Amino acid sequence: MSWYLILVCVGVGVLSWVLRALPFLLFGRKGEPPKVVAYVGKVLSPAAIAMLVVYCYAGYARPGATGLGACLLPEIVAGGVTAALQLWRRNPLVSILAGTALYMTLIRLFPRM
Amino acid sequence: MIFRRAFKDSLPVLMGYSTMGFAAGVLLAVHGGVEWPAFWGAVSSGLFISGPLQYLFVDWVKTSLALGSVFVVVLCVNFRYCLYGLSLLERFKGAGPLAKFYLIMGITDETYALQMNCRLPPGRPLRLYCLVLTALDHLYWVLGVTAGALAGSLAQSVVSPESVQRATAGIDFAMTALFIVILVDQCRERVNRAPAAIGGMAAAGVFLALAAVFGPERARAEMLIPAIISIVALLLAFRRHLEGGRR
Repeated sequence: MSWYLILVCVGVGVLSWVLRALPFLLFGRKGEPPKVVAYVGKVLSPAAIAMLVVYCYAGYARPGATGLGACLLPEIVAGGVTAALQLWRRNPLVSILAGTALYMTLIRLFPRM
Repeated sequence: MIFRRAFKDSLPVLMGYSTMGFAAGVLLAVHGGVEWPAFWGAVSSGLFISGPLQYLFVDWVKTSLALGSVFVVVLCVNFRYCLYGLSLLERFKGAGPLAKFYLIMGITDETYALQMNCRLPPGRPLRLYCLVLTALDHLYWVLGVTAGALAGSLAQSVVSPESVQRATAGIDFAMTALFIVILVDQCRERVNRAPAAIGGMAAAGVFLALAAVFGPERARAEMLIPAIISIVALLLAFRRHLEGGRR
């Protein structure tokens, strides 16, 4: 367990730095990135974030859940409110805190069976 | 003068980072099942300097996610920083190797935005401003996460761990909300909408297919690598279409 923690902390730290440094390491002198790289770099980011939203929602699927909890209703409502707030107010902190507070309330009002 | 200016500009980040960091720290202490949460919270936040990765860290230690999948997630989350780097090349030019190492390590959405906002002409004062800003934001983040982890462990030793877990149940939705907010902001740009739709649908398809065979829990743990491969393949296949829409 502890080895896993050390590996993850160091590995993720190094990898994060390398990714942030990539343009400096590759194109530090001068020159442009190849067109395919620039293209993938542009479109991969929104696609990957959408994938991670799906990954988060995948964690809420419970095989044995019944009732309102089974159809992910609290997650969908809280997620929708978060997105709507962000579209409207453009304040990430407000959207995240309000969405999370709403979710914590909803799962208490509609507890899973 | 430069210090005061950087500190003043960083105050909104202080609000955001301390709150989000605190929540991530509580989550780690209460739901992570780690032995020294404050220590690991400080180490991970100091090294990652990333909100998404901090929340995912709890997910990883809880499920002992395979390192290959961890690798893919880090790639996904930090890929956008490559693009930030391209526009910062000019601003960081001339910095010493150590300063440059740290400036690169500290690139986050918020720090990047403030650095790009700064109207100082390129040169020594601008580099100093960027450096101070990076250090302040880094400090806020580490302090937030560590304080949250300490508060979480303290609460668990005062009351029972079970009741703290029950009281904070659902706080993990902060991670989902964080990704939703990033996605909404990216989708403000029209060109990002089609790639986001492709990414979401491909990931959902991969998850549902795996869940039908292995059940949801294992499907979630295994979905990231096949999902990212199919996403890159789809993005390359639709390249002409997606690039055509940009102009």
